[in-house]
Amino acid sequence: MTRSVWKGPFVDGYLLKKADKARSSGRNEIIKIWSRRSTILPQFVGLTFGVYNGQKFLPVLVTENMIGHKFGEFSPTRTFYGHAADKKAKRK
Amino acid sequence: MSSRIVVAQIVGAHGVHGRVKLKSFTGEPEAVFAYGPLTDASGARSFALRKTGTGKDHFLAEVEGVRSKEAADALRGTLLHVERDRLPEPEDEDEFYHADLIGLPVETTDGTAFGTVKAIFDFGAGDVLEIDHVSAKTVHLPFTKAEVPVVDVKGGRVVVNPPPNLFAPAGPPPSEEELAGEIEVEIDDGEPGDGR
Repeated sequence: MTRSVWKGPFVDGYLLKKADKARSSGRNEIIKIWSRRSTILPQFVGLTFGVYNGQKFLPVLVTENMIGHKFGEFSPTRTFYGHAADKKAKRK
Repeated sequence: MSSRIVVAQIVGAHGVHGRVKLKSFTGEPEAVFAYGPLTDASGARSFALRKTGTGKDHFLAEVEGVRSKEAADALRGTLLHVERDRLPEPEDEDEFYHADLIGLPVETTDGTAFGTVKAIFDFGAGDVLEIDHVSAKTVHLPFTKAEVPVVDVKGGRVVVNPPPNLFAPAGPPPSEEELAGEIEVEIDDGEPGDGR
């Protein structure tokens, strides 16, 4: 069952404080968070979060098309090392 | 940078006429048939493939010179390689083959050794470099121009500009108070109790 719209998106409170602090400092820091359940808000765009996956903090660079998703979606708890084959990586 | 790259694996025989099941590892699965004859790990044996069908998570293919189930069974588990030279060069200067990046030494902007590229992942938030750090830790860096300003595949090096707090402790976990209430976020539509 989906969350009622009238409640608004769920975000852990400490996350907004951390994001505000990082944005005001202007430094290129990773914001380490544990809150995989929080929704990605528009004010997080452009920031890099380190989202804990139970072992380590995986970097998540927030872009516009990630708004509305949860942080945990971008930090999987299991890792599969496949063959590189002809796969390409693009530097943003 | 390895000159021979694994692109597929023969996972078993299909039928009694020597056809094989083929698992493709390429970004676009069907591209495995576009690279021409593939070789085994040593490069001694060549495999000319022809696609004959598609399975649930594999292709069915004919291998030139293989006409019996026994011969196809003997190929089970064979990893099929392609020469790196046969892959087309990336069109964008900021695009790199994973195979080119994996294993490259990494240094910081001031020339200090940082580690070695272990893997590249894309979990949906852009590409992430997994680096074996010189301290034996594994670190992850977003594959951006800010964090990875120089990628010199021919020169065999990657230069990174790691965030200052990369190895800093994450700080205390949020307190009970901080986790007690969720933040009210203003949204444009929706009134409490309007049933939407």
